[in-house]
Amino acid sequence: MIKKLIEIVGQENFTDQLEELVPYSYDASMNIHRPDAAVWPETAEQVLAIVKFANEHKIPVIPRGAGTSLSGGVVPIRGGVIIDLSKMNRILEISIENRYARVEAGVVCDDLNRELAKHGFVFPPDPASSTVSTIGGNVATNAGGIKGAKYGTTRDYVLGLQVALPTGELMRTGSYTMKCVSGYDLAKLFVGAEGTLGVITEVTLKINPLPRHAMTAVATYARLEDAGKAIFQTMTSGVIPSVMEILDKVTLKSIRENTDIDLPDAEAMILTETDGFTWEEVEAQMEVVLSILKKNHPIEIKTAKDEKERLNLWKARKSAYATLARVSSSFTLDDVTVPISRIPELLVGIQEISKKYNIVVATFGHAGDGNLHPQILYDEYDSDQVERTKKVEEEIFKLTISLKGTLSGEHGIGLSKASYMTLEHDPVEMDLMRRVKKTLDPNNIMNPGKRALDS
Amino acid sequence: MPTQLQFDEKRRKAITQCSRCGFCRAVCPIFDLTKRPITNAHGKIILLKEVLEGKLPATEEVAKAMLRCTACMNCTVNCPSGVDPQEIIKAARRDMVGMGFDNLFKAMGEVVEKYGNIYGEEKRSDWGHRKGKAPYALFLGCAGAYREEESVKETLQLLDILKVDFTLIDEVCCSGVLEDVGYKIKEDLVWRNIQEIQKTGAKTLITTCPYCYRVFKEHPAYKDLGMEVKHITQFLKDFDFGVKTDKKVTYHDPCDLGRHAGIYDEPRQIIQKIAPNFVEPRRTRENAMCCGAGSGFRGAFPKESVKIARNRLSQIIEDTGAEILLTECPSCLHNFRNAKRQKQKIEIYNLTEFLARLYRERERPSTKEAA
Repeated sequence: MIKKLIEIVGQENFTDQLEELVPYSYDASMNIHRPDAAVWPETAEQVLAIVKFANEHKIPVIPRGAGTSLSGGVVPIRGGVIIDLSKMNRILEISIENRYARVEAGVVCDDLNRELAKHGFVFPPDPASSTVSTIGGNVATNAGGIKGAKYGTTRDYVLGLQVALPTGELMRTGSYTMKCVSGYDLAKLFVGAEGTLGVITEVTLKINPLPRHAMTAVATYARLEDAGKAIFQTMTSGVIPSVMEILDKVTLKSIRENTDIDLPDAEAMILTETDGFTWEEVEAQMEVVLSILKKNHPIEIKTAKDEKERLNLWKARKSAYATLARVSSSFTLDDVTVPISRIPELLVGIQEISKKYNIVVATFGHAGDGNLHPQILYDEYDSDQVERTKKVEEEIFKLTISLKGTLSGEHGIGLSKASYMTLEHDPVEMDLMRRVKKTLDPNNIMNPGKRALDS
Repeated sequence: MPTQLQFDEKRRKAITQCSRCGFCRAVCPIFDLTKRPITNAHGKIILLKEVLEGKLPATEEVAKAMLRCTACMNCTVNCPSGVDPQEIIKAARRDMVGMGFDNLFKAMGEVVEKYGNIYGEEKRSDWGHRKGKAPYALFLGCAGAYREEESVKETLQLLDILKVDFTLIDEVCCSGVLEDVGYKIKEDLVWRNIQEIQKTGAKTLITTCPYCYRVFKEHPAYKDLGMEVKHITQFLKDFDFGVKTDKKVTYHDPCDLGRHAGIYDEPRQIIQKIAPNFVEPRRTRENAMCCGAGSGFRGAFPKESVKIARNRLSQIIEDTGAEILLTECPSCLHNFRNAKRQKQKIEIYNLTEFLARLYRERERPSTKEAA
């Protein structure tokens, strides 16, 4: 195996040294497993050759971008070869007149947006990890972000792909057009597939004009129900804010106690933003949002127009993850998503589960699209806490499904949520998913052991 | 000989504190070059975590991985979980040396002891400068004194032009860098430096090297120095220079001066007075990318080091289109000058060196006037 892989990518782009493989045994979740080797291909042809070889010899291959996944999605649970796409980081084409960008899979999300900004354009989905996350990884996990309610997720921007198929072909699928109903939408099949069907080597993305102005507001509430009402009333008001974030009281308390950010003792905080082409448009939208926020008995409301004030209001939200990460040595960060009007029930339910198992769960997230991030804090070296954490997670998943929600809004299933797949998907659907997987990847070499597709 | 890392509770906690978010990939100069996770902070911390948990033996390769860090602190500044990887990495280097994994800096320590400088040079340039009593003592550091002699000459001329009553000393290496790479500061060298500096009767020690500045300022071995320590940019910030350039100028924050010592404004205050056409690189101040020279990295991995300098330099040129790149660190200067390609027209100077040149240009009649 070693000889063949070196032949394909060159000695300098191959490793099977234990120490180099250790970091590849992890992602940002708590899953761990060693790969047998790692390669850094530089062309799609090399990727194809690797996949072809792996298929012939039934060796698992795991495509990997920045490895920021929170679900164990890139942890090589059955060993095999990590295909690290970081070196395939060329922006191949920016076509402003046709509104698309064509990039290699390893291009970093923010690097693409920096180039697009020069033309006044943007690829809108902005996961928190956008400074390092790769477009290939964003596509494979259908990454979302803060602006999901107005601008959708990665899926809404994927026009076409080039994919190395495990059966040994390099396939181009999709189009360069804004519309396309030509055949099955195979490109979208690979979006959010977490590398279980093939290796994405190139992506063609729809791009948007960059909004020129934005206005920010923050409102705090003494009652969670009021915050919940404010959210879904806003989302049905006719105005779609570009940001509609919520922070629960555990998160707020943690920020208050661990930073110098001035926050009231509240049950919930909403951070919202409107954006647009002109100021008038931005302000008119914000006026509607503010009237709804006010109507629902806030403790206080603050607004910001200039960049400095905006950053100030963003401080609490931006510090949420970091503050919680500093409070606890270990945590699990989930991404359960419910229909927007069920957010208050999910928030209250999570707090009850947290109390029941005496495990701290801080929740914040993208309320505008129903996507919450319960961050379960525990000590990984305390086996009792680890056990209780598992139960907390399971109950949160069950609650989410009972609210007509989904296990994952933007992180993917990976390993962490694989055993809960049948909670959400009935046997008919599971069976079809498995048949799709088997058709495309008959030897089950593509990122095996994930999302309960091969068990 | 200890067989394990001697990590205390605080360091163990820092290691579990790393949430493996991988955000350090965006700022690590070595990862930027290699794209190999073992080279960035996140990878190194995972290695140490496994060593501490007994899942991975402490090997030569682990020790080597720890050496592959410029201690630029960009990951520290940008870590959402509040981890300070460079501190952990330095501690790991110390522990691994203690466990018998000596590295190439062991030999450097012997060289420093024998020759008083990291390069093993027998003789230092003289610059014809007096030595004796003065209110200000000037400490040059190894990189400036032995690798950027011309630049030092200009700096000395600047101080003369500004009528600063200063003296050079018979300095030896501050030897602080040895602590970065797993060994101990050389007490006898420290003692010699303190003697030499105190002999001048100076009230202030001025250093041109930001790293030496930090060692004099922060290292307990120098606590008896008994005088104020200033980096040369701090010393010069309030001077009126009366010279200017119209050229487009940019500035590279040395990691030791910026992130490590928090000195960002002083160099800019000086530049503001002399270069109205000043433009910041995209990645600047707290977020400035490293030149690749720090923490023994240039010594241990010279090829990678110069490639990193090349990347940083190309990025600065692309961002700013500047004609002049200023910095104030002999190591950054040396690395950039080594990295510069002939076709790149940008000129690279230490700020003090550039100032001296501006004075000289003013003295010299321009060709137009001469005609």
